[in-house]
Amino acid sequence: MDHSRLLGLWFFSLALAGAQALTPSHHLSLSDVARLQSLLSQPFTDLESAYYSVVGLTKLGAVIPDQNEVCHFLKSELDPASVDSLFFAVETSQAISGCEIPVSNETRDILLAAVSEDSTMGQIHRAVSALGSLGLPLASQEVIGALTARIEKEDNVMAITSALLAASRLSQQAELGGILEEIEDLTARLDDLGGMYLQFEEGLEATAMFVTAAYSLSDHVGVEPPLKEDQVIQLVNSIFSKKSWDSLAEAFSVASAAAALSSNQFHVPVVVRTHGPATVSHSQPTLQLLVTDVMSQPLTSANVLVESANAASSKSSILSQAPFTLNDGIFEFNFMSSQPASGYYQFTIAVTGDKRLVANQVELKVKVSTEVAVTNMDLSVVDKDQSIGTKTTRVDYPSKAKSSFVADSHQYFAMAFQLVDVNTGVELTPHQTFVRLHNQKTGQEVVFVAEPDSKNLYKFELDTAERKSEFDTISGTYSLCLIVGDATLENPILWNVADVVLKFVDEEAPATIQPKTLYVPKPEIQHLFREPEKKPPTVVSNAFTALVLFPFLLLLILWFKLGANISNFRLSPSTVLFHVGHAAMLGLMYVYWTHLDMFQTLKYLAIIGGVTFLAGNRMLAQKAVKRLEKK
Amino acid sequence: MSNSVISVISRFLEEYTSTTPTKLKVVDSYLLYILLTGALQFLYCLLVGTFPFNSFLSGFISCVGSFILAVCLRIQINPQNKGDFLSISPERAFADFLFAHTVLHLVVMNFIG
Repeated sequence: MDHSRLLGLWFFSLALAGAQALTPSHHLSLSDVARLQSLLSQPFTDLESAYYSVVGLTKLGAVIPDQNEVCHFLKSELDPASVDSLFFAVETSQAISGCEIPVSNETRDILLAAVSEDSTMGQIHRAVSALGSLGLPLASQEVIGALTARIEKEDNVMAITSALLAASRLSQQAELGGILEEIEDLTARLDDLGGMYLQFEEGLEATAMFVTAAYSLSDHVGVEPPLKEDQVIQLVNSIFSKKSWDSLAEAFSVASAAAALSSNQFHVPVVVRTHGPATVSHSQPTLQLLVTDVMSQPLTSANVLVESANAASSKSSILSQAPFTLNDGIFEFNFMSSQPASGYYQFTIAVTGDKRLVANQVELKVKVSTEVAVTNMDLSVVDKDQSIGTKTTRVDYPSKAKSSFVADSHQYFAMAFQLVDVNTGVELTPHQTFVRLHNQKTGQEVVFVAEPDSKNLYKFELDTAERKSEFDTISGTYSLCLIVGDATLENPILWNVADVVLKFVDEEAPATIQPKTLYVPKPEIQHLFREPEKKPPTVVSNAFTALVLFPFLLLLILWFKLGANISNFRLSPSTVLFHVGHAAMLGLMYVYWTHLDMFQTLKYLAIIGGVTFLAGNRMLAQKAVKRLEKK
Repeated sequence: MSNSVISVISRFLEEYTSTTPTKLKVVDSYLLYILLTGALQFLYCLLVGTFPFNSFLSGFISCVGSFILAVCLRIQINPQNKGDFLSISPERAFADFLFAHTVLHLVVMNFIG
């Protein structure tokens, strides 16, 4: 009655879902669990590591060795004045049997004092847990008040996670609704990475402890956590993607999350994997599945069935609603009994039986492989004129034709065969059907593709005149091989069928085949440095320098001849200053060329030029006055 | 034909030496000097190629610029052109000449490399 209602619900949700739901891409395999356990089993030196190790191992379901020694260690290391120390010792003692931590009134008072809004959230959580584990009375309302006040001040992820954990230790009658809402707030803070991962930016430990705390509180209160199925799977991917853990605290958080996700009351993610390759054949007709939780513990109470199986290429349905049988922890299904043709099939597998299961619909691609046989292999040499009748030789696999076939330019060589499935007799068209001709003397090989016709009969024809370029017109004996291969074939074939002697017209002297010089070191490229410009010989440039100075001489001579002189030179300050300034400007030009840049030159030029201008102005004004007087 | 050219040239030279004031002749000899310098630079460039081009350009432009400024000076101080340059006295022309040369030399020095 529940079964049929469940099935009805699945069909309804299938119709609703439409798109494929997310399935876990990461989980803890058995080797991962073993690695986690060995990390947690390392010898511990202080109470905190003892807590992580012992409680972590308990969560993984491992047995704690030397429990008496552990208890001894706890009692000796305990510092009754420290809340942290008490927390670690008490929680660890709960995990091992027959260990009681002695408690005094002072201890109780210290723990009760820690439960206030002035302590950090971590302290409150540890105190509450220790009090709960020791069985000491606790006012839940007070704790809730302290937690709520503390959440206002400490807003980070780890603090709120600690609050959730603390709340899960309180009485079930208490008002935990406010704290419960924090789960939804924290969920909103998770970062979505590509739709596959959901994690806190604080890291793995924060994410794993959040999951632990959320489910711990939800179980305690009996209210389903506001996490959607896809979000649960994304959290699973984030937490279990890391396979080696940096610290005990991180390993502990992963172990806690694994335990929380395998055994809470609301969401149990399912991991479906194939046991071995997802291939069936006549020799291996059953498809074997491992259906486990995230810690690789088998879900033996589940029902696994094939919702539908469609051929990948034709999308025709082969199966519907076929159940798996549980055999020694592995779910098996005999697919070959449905006599499928070889190829790929898309399976949709549903895991039912527990309404907590999440990601319980999985898509799986299954390959059906078979064996191929070559039948009706007929070889013949056909005359192009068809004047001579063709002689067909039948060759059976794996023997070789007794005589070799000769084909020259007037004939062509023909080959016909069929490929059938050994078990069903159905004709096959594998991906690779090649005909290879190998010249034994020169090592040359030429490969052709054999194509099937409409009746799935393979034909290959070799026209010697047409194909001579592929053979480099080298005549000789070629061994002919048939190569058949496909992903769904278990027995690929390489069969030397016959020897063929090919005679080509216009044969050149057979050149030895050089393997392509692709992987030989290439000639080295020498770097050509930039050639300096061609400069004229120094003699020429020196000569011209002298030559260019010659017109200046000419000028001086001409001026002298004209009678230009400086007899009118008045030794007045402005005149002197002007000439000095002018000379300084010319000197500045030279210095500019050799040392300075434009900005410095302009600076100096402004100074000298200003002086020169004023002096020159004065001088020229005096000259003008004199000129006008003279007139 | 060549006879008339020679006679034109000799007449021109005669008139030039007799009528041109000395001041202008001084400027003319300066112009000749500049011209020769520029021509020699150009000849050198034709002979040996334009490397380094910026140096050749700056030298040549210096010659050309100086020539142009000297011609301007000559025009402005020529007493026969006094009517065209009423506001510009010869001293003013000379001062302009000096200032323009400063700017020209600044640019030339920058470009000479």
